[in-house]
This record gives sequence, C-alpha cells and structure tokens, in this order.
Amino acid sequence: MIIVVDGLNRDKHTDLLRQMHRLRARVFDGRLGWDVTVENGEERDVFDLLDPAHVISVNDEGHVVGCMRLLQTTGPHMLSDVFAPLLGGEPPLRSSRLWEATRFCVDTERLTERRGRNSISHVTSEVMVGAFEYGIEAGITDAVAVIDPVMHRVMKRSGNGPSDYLGKPTQMGKVVAMAVLMDVSEERIDRIREFAGLHGDVFAPAHATAVAA
Amino acid sequence: MDLIDLGNTTADEARRGAFLDQLCQQLELDFASYATQHPVTGAVQGYANYPEEWKRYYAAQGLQRIDPTLWRSVRSIAPVDWERFSDDAGFAAVFDNSREFGIPAQGLTVPVRGPMGDCGLLSVTRACNREEWRKLKRRIVGNLQTAAVHFHDSVMRSETVTLLMKMPAISVREREILQWVAAGKSQQDVGDILSISHRTVEVHLRSVREKLGALTTPQAVGRAVRLGLISPT
Repeated sequence: MIIVVDGLNRDKHTDLLRQMHRLRARVFDGRLGWDVTVENGEERDVFDLLDPAHVISVNDEGHVVGCMRLLQTTGPHMLSDVFAPLLGGEPPLRSSRLWEATRFCVDTERLTERRGRNSISHVTSEVMVGAFEYGIEAGITDAVAVIDPVMHRVMKRSGNGPSDYLGKPTQMGKVVAMAVLMDVSEERIDRIREFAGLHGDVFAPAHATAVAA
Repeated sequence: MDLIDLGNTTADEARRGAFLDQLCQQLELDFASYATQHPVTGAVQGYANYPEEWKRYYAAQGLQRIDPTLWRSVRSIAPVDWERFSDDAGFAAVFDNSREFGIPAQGLTVPVRGPMGDCGLLSVTRACNREEWRKLKRRIVGNLQTAAVHFHDSVMRSETVTLLMKMPAISVREREILQWVAAGKSQQDVGDILSISHRTVEVHLRSVREKLGALTTPQAVGRAVRLGLISPT
C-alpha cells in the first residue's frame, strides 16, 4: 500500500518518515556504500529539506518496505547538483513536466526474491506505479531517475525498463550510478501492473482523494 | 494551447493580466491568479483576474496571511486541489466569504520551484460539480504546469537579481536537437539522426523550451539563434 508524504502532510506521518530514513541508511550507506550522511541510523541530505514528495510502500504489518523521492526539475534537484558527474558536466534537463526520482530503494532484508506480495519485485512495482499515477495526476509526462545497476535490472525485468539513458554510468562509492529516463504513461503503468499482478488502487484508502486529488 | 508569450525580456503588468485572462478562456476556468514571495526581500508580488471588490477585500483583511492555498501549496511538488484544505480553518475563513464575491471555493494551485530557491504559485478556480471538475483538471493539468512555469520564470527574469544569470544552461544534446529542428527536421527524423527515441527528443525539447522561456519550439529556435546557441541555417 502506497502513501505519498509531502510537505503538506508530513506532520501526520512522522513515524513513516523515520522508518523511511532508516531504510535509506541501511540501503545507501550499508548495502550500496554511497557517500551519504547517516545520523542516528537515519540517512538524510539537503534535498530532504526542500519539501520533496516521498512515495512510501508500507506492508501489512505497517513496516516501510520501499520508497522513492520525487522533486521538480524546475528547482534544485540532485542531477543539477550532486549527480552532475553522471551527466558528464552537462547541464541537466529542466521542465515542468519532468520530475526527478531519487533514493529509490526496497527493503531486501524484509522482502524475498520470490514472487508475491512480499517480494522485491512486487514492492518495486508498487512504488513505481504509485509514483507514476501520482505524476500523471500532476500533469507529468516523463521522469528522470538516478539508479544503480541492480535496480536497473529489476526494472527491466518487471516491464519497467528505461525509455532512454542520459550521460554515462559513473562510479559512486562502491557501485555504479546511472541516470535514466522513463515515460510517465498509462502504457508503462499497465505493463508494470500486468507483470506484478497488481490490481486495484495501490494507494492507502482515504489517501487517494487527499493527495492524488 | 496558444498563450501570450511572456518570454521577451520584461513583460509589463498588462501583458501578465492578459495572460491570465487568456488562460481562463482557453482552459474553461473562472479565475486565475499568480503569487510569489521575493526570495530576498520576502515581499509578496501577485497578479489576479478576480473582481476588484474581492481583491480589495482580500488585501484589506490581509487574507494572504492565513490563506493555505498560498502558504501550504508551496510545500507540495504536485498541483494541490483545494479539497486538501477542507479541514483547514484558514481556508474556511477565506473562502466562506469569497462566495459573496462570486469566487468559487473549488480550485487548484500549481506550485513552481525555480533554481534560485524561488517559488511561485499559479491558482485557478472553476464553479462546477465535482465530477466535471475532476475531468477538467485531468484535461488541463499539463497545460497549467507549462503556463505556471512560463509565468513564474517571466516574473523572476524581470527581477534584477536574476537578470545577472539569464544565459540559460543548455546541454550539447539540447543544442544539437534544436539545431536539427531549426534545419527543418521532424522529431522522428531527429531521433533517427541521433539514434534516440522521438520521446527522448521531446523530453529534451520541452526542457530547452522552458530554459529559453519559450512556449513553442519555433520561439525556442528563434531565441537560441539570437543568443548564439545555434547557428541560423
């Protein structure tokens, strides 16, 4: 189940945010070895202060098992600052119809490799569908995302491969990071849903009208 | 959508007002307004085609201080339906009165963030039933996003602080796509020439149009030529 937490409703979701920052610390500092700042077991950066929208996947027990951070590309965002090396020094894209997705991760400790509701691929698909449906509602047509090769493979395998690539894959810490483009379209959402067997509303009840309205 | 071009240096007040009128006409809206807070001085600058009586009342009561469509929408990355403020006391205080002035409490605010930490808000209203509103929003939200950035960038460009930084940062890819478009190639052709999809061509074109403050690709080509970013063919 997806909950979008942004600058308007973050006060109501402090526990989810805390869990999310902990998951990000385990993934980006622990597993991937990215050069990120972790304090009290929580990973945060300057972009978290800029009122991004967090697309958060919560499992049936109330645990945060996946997340993605969205920012407008018209304002400050990661590709315009810290991920500039990925674009080979080129200025980033800037458009009201293009969002940037970063800090995309799922909980590989709590989730399994198998298929089904508690699998890595299911939660990956759920976060993606949540983000894309939220984007379509906002008039967004495309997204640029910074991902690692593992996530890249997971996405390609789940009907959600990039529509194109920007710049070159670049070594960041222990792993390679890459900037990819994705069309934010009904066709893509249908492909992901079909692959993951995701039917019905992915958003939490009462949330759909509150945020995606 | 065919809107007044605000991209030419400093658009004057009348042009900005006409832009809002045209936006309402073309997108079937009742009213439109734009507000921004100066990143340095904090002063609020705004434009609206609301009736004069409502503007006067709003200003006299200082409603901008409690109006959540302003100070809360700024914290969203997505357009905010005013439905989200249904439990907000400030919203009730502003919009319980607005009906007497013929201003519907049904609206949407599109927040724009600029590269300098600046932020602008384009708000639109429409009196109609919920279902019609839902359909209208879906149809026009993309155009509203484009219009909001165009308007905001125009206001920011006329600020002296940002005048210093008006040479847009265009990437090699954006420049070569614009150069091929200037040579009369279609998006499909350009995609074939550069071995990228026509969708990626469109993503770059949309980006370079907004960087150049242009609403259409021909305008973007014109500006790029004028700025010496591409060569006239």
